[in-house]
Amino acid sequence: MTLAATSNPNTFFERVMKLNWGIITLLVALAFVGVLMHFSVSSGAWTDMPLTHGMRFAVLLVVTLLAAMFLDTRFWLAVAYPLYAGALLLLVAVEVAGETRMGATRWLDLGFMSLQPSEIMKIAIVLALARYYHQLDPRRTGTVLWTIPPFLMIGAPVGLVMHQPDLGTAMLILFAGLTLMFLGGLLWRIIAVGAGLAIGGAVFAYNTVLHDYQRDRINVFLGLADDPLGAGYHVLQSKIAIGSAGLFGRGYLQGSQSQLDFLPEKHTDFIFTMIVEEFGLFGGFLVLGLYVALMGLAMQVALRARSLFGKLAAGGVAATLASYVFINMAMVIGLVPVVGIPLPMLSFGGTAMVTLMVCFAIVLSVDLHRDQHGTHGLLW
Amino acid sequence: MKLPTRGKKIGSTLPKRDANAIFTRRAALLSIGGAGAAGAIGFRMAQLQATDAVSREYTMAADENRFDTRIIAPPRGVIYDRFGVVLAQTSKDYQVSVLLNDIDSEAERDEMIARVAAILGRDETWIRRTKARLNPQMRYEPQPVAEGLTWEEFNAINVRLPELRGVVANSADVRAYPYDIVYAHPIGYVQKPTQRDVDAALADPELGTSRATYLRNPYVRVGKAGLEASMEKELHGEAGWRKVIVNARGVEMGEDSGERREPIRGSGVVLTLDHDLQRIAMENFGEQSGSAVVMDIYTGDLLVMASAPGFDPNLFVNGISQTNFDTYNNDEKKPLYHKSVTGVYAPGSTFKMMVGIAAKQAGVEDDWAVGCSGGFAYGGRVFHCWRAGGHGRMNLHDAIKHSCDVYFYQAALRAGPERIAAVARAFGLGEHFDINVPNIRDGLIPDPTWWRANRNEEWTGGLTVNYGIGQGAMGITPLQLAVMAARLGNNGYAVRPRLVHEAPGVTDPPRAPHLAGIEPEYLARVRDGMFGVCNEPGGTAVRAGTLELVRHPETGAAVPLTPETRGWEPVQIAGKTGTAQVRALGANRGVHYSQIEWKYRDNALFCCFGPWHEPRYACAVIVEHGGAGSAVAGPIANQIMRATLQRDPSRRPAARLATLENRGGQQA
Repeated sequence: MTLAATSNPNTFFERVMKLNWGIITLLVALAFVGVLMHFSVSSGAWTDMPLTHGMRFAVLLVVTLLAAMFLDTRFWLAVAYPLYAGALLLLVAVEVAGETRMGATRWLDLGFMSLQPSEIMKIAIVLALARYYHQLDPRRTGTVLWTIPPFLMIGAPVGLVMHQPDLGTAMLILFAGLTLMFLGGLLWRIIAVGAGLAIGGAVFAYNTVLHDYQRDRINVFLGLADDPLGAGYHVLQSKIAIGSAGLFGRGYLQGSQSQLDFLPEKHTDFIFTMIVEEFGLFGGFLVLGLYVALMGLAMQVALRARSLFGKLAAGGVAATLASYVFINMAMVIGLVPVVGIPLPMLSFGGTAMVTLMVCFAIVLSVDLHRDQHGTHGLLW
Repeated sequence: MKLPTRGKKIGSTLPKRDANAIFTRRAALLSIGGAGAAGAIGFRMAQLQATDAVSREYTMAADENRFDTRIIAPPRGVIYDRFGVVLAQTSKDYQVSVLLNDIDSEAERDEMIARVAAILGRDETWIRRTKARLNPQMRYEPQPVAEGLTWEEFNAINVRLPELRGVVANSADVRAYPYDIVYAHPIGYVQKPTQRDVDAALADPELGTSRATYLRNPYVRVGKAGLEASMEKELHGEAGWRKVIVNARGVEMGEDSGERREPIRGSGVVLTLDHDLQRIAMENFGEQSGSAVVMDIYTGDLLVMASAPGFDPNLFVNGISQTNFDTYNNDEKKPLYHKSVTGVYAPGSTFKMMVGIAAKQAGVEDDWAVGCSGGFAYGGRVFHCWRAGGHGRMNLHDAIKHSCDVYFYQAALRAGPERIAAVARAFGLGEHFDINVPNIRDGLIPDPTWWRANRNEEWTGGLTVNYGIGQGAMGITPLQLAVMAARLGNNGYAVRPRLVHEAPGVTDPPRAPHLAGIEPEYLARVRDGMFGVCNEPGGTAVRAGTLELVRHPETGAAVPLTPETRGWEPVQIAGKTGTAQVRALGANRGVHYSQIEWKYRDNALFCCFGPWHEPRYACAVIVEHGGAGSAVAGPIANQIMRATLQRDPSRRPAARLATLENRGGQQA
């Protein structure tokens, strides 16, 4: 295939040129907004927080770009199952020997660092299911029998993570898995039945599985309980900040709710509130627009990938990221209960950013190697 | 595109499906879903702001969060002496305060208090007191825990503030009394409002909760004693407030300078007291307990109102320690009592002028004389004269001069108790004088009617005899004694004392009316007798009554007697001694003076007016358990009158409040 030969990037320069610079630009833009906001979180001082955020992104971006250039779709296909199996084992290890912090057992102490296996699973579930549907004959995706393994693959980690307990992450893994099944071609009939079971399950879960603090949050959200100083305080303060911001906000470093600490967790979960408070509806829409554009570009990568695995991996990653963004934003404006999901690229935190950059390494890699066939001497 | 797939054959029973096409369709569906979610979020943000644009509810909630109104306690009015000397002022004080809301736990609070104690070098007692002092109900206001810091201490706290969470270093207005003990009684002191004050405000529908909130503010002080208490309304001033920006923990981050109402300083008060004379009076008491009052006999201005021993009112302003309070409270000389108006004493021989006037009223002639042999037998018992050997024949003039008891036993019997009581009351004994200090006691001038009503028995002649020498149930205050001397000195005008010279609502006193039924002729005899006491050979207070002052021949001013001024007219006073028993008559007889327990010793009294050639000032001195009036009270009165007559404050213009306030505005 001469056409393929010309479109296959082989030299380093060629690969750099063929990277999806649209996505990279958006990532840089979001990271810049992050540094800007962490500078504001520090009340206008160059503390560790904005510097760390910026440095972390810069280092991870370089690693991501190199990974995207030198690891092709084959690599991701090859590691999909081992990564999934490894993550599942680590989740079991957490269950057995995990470290408990703030009432939840989510961390594995590796001596030199703490590892949160549920973060790995967020990616692993996407890759594993992408591989499953990639290798499954399209005709079989329509059968009930071949739908059971994906459900098990999703159910095992979701159950383990929920038991930690980390409802937010469990929901994200579940959502990512279901999205993959949907993109993979799950029959509408099964979707309908599943939706029915899900609602029933939710009611059941509310009454049995959920912890009191989780139930409180849901009650407050649904208006069944009034608790401005407890679970409802965060959202109330967030709504006050957004509602009082105006079209162009109170000005950078001037948000009273943020700067005077009425807004809790402003450097992590509630960073979007701070953006809106200081830059107004305009700033909020701008950041929302950046995310929509980013997801759009990622979805475009999925659509033009040749292999089904590439499509599913990129599309799954795009949908997963979109879910993070929208759940976080919906949470801070009081549309969904507070579940503790950070905003990608903006919230402060190393683990979340590593997970995120791995996701974009996959997307960029799929995009760069979308026409590639054959081997080129990498890894195996 | 060749990625490895499973190459297994599948039966043709299943329908054909194109995975790529399915993916494209479903990705499109997902994208639409995502766009919908983004739209919902955008809509919701806009909706929150639209809601706020209409109702302002979020803006108001944000303002309620960040703004806090803090009361600024007003600076109190300055209190001046009659010539403008500042006696009570409001000055800046460096303090350390604690904001409880910024502290997470009791353990952290204790840790912070311990650190502050270590920096300031305070002991365990201070730590315990401070913990008890912090009111958990006031958690959103900084509460002072250490006042009166030196600049060094204040700095030491300031540099360590970053490691002292919840600790605030601030300055505040604080009441200060620069002459501490000298004016402790007439001026009194301010203190933190008590729970009772707060409850009283809550119970009053007009004052209500806002007043109670104000009183709970840790910087607010109210007058609790003396003039500070009785003129609270005038002195307090009007509170201001400022709008501060606070963070979620209640820590002040800044101030909204546009929204601030400055407090209004309380009105100043000019007293009638003369600082120089008041200080001399206090100094002359030394360790002794008692009171001295000097009064202008025409205007009623109190130039001296001293009560000894004094106490330091500054100790009360920020809450007095139990140790200090106990020291004052357990002292048998009762330093906390304002003896000038609350000390009630038997007048003793100083009462004899009243008996003399009453006897004159009753028709006793000038040449009526009584033989004194040292005792008077009446109703089956003998009433002794203070002089065991007797005075011989005594007329009114000599009886006052020698303070002969036997004469007044009989004069009292001729005048009768009703008449004596009426004269005593006319001269201000037992009368209520409102001089703007609280807890004034009126004393008692009993008469047969009172005796029947309150003692349930008939008045007896024996009581009348005792009445003649100012003993028995009667009691007067030093202030009343001074009024009596003043009314004698001004020839029978009903002058009333006053302590406040100028203040809002205070007007100059009306001209005093003449006392009804007191003829100048009656007074003349008694005044002559008083002159004799101080100036004639044999008078009971010749030594104490001699001021060693002479009159300047041209200016008429009183100047000390020196070799150069020898030959100028002497400046003289007229007075009367008194030695009043505090135990039953004769209980101390035969016991050596030094063996008598302090509290059972006689009270020493002296009252006088002067200068004799042109009376202007009256003075009364009572020394509790001091012994003989001539030996103890007289010398103190001598020093005070000597200073008063030389200084002659009534002839010098008093300071005007308007002038003082313009000057004091920047100063205090």
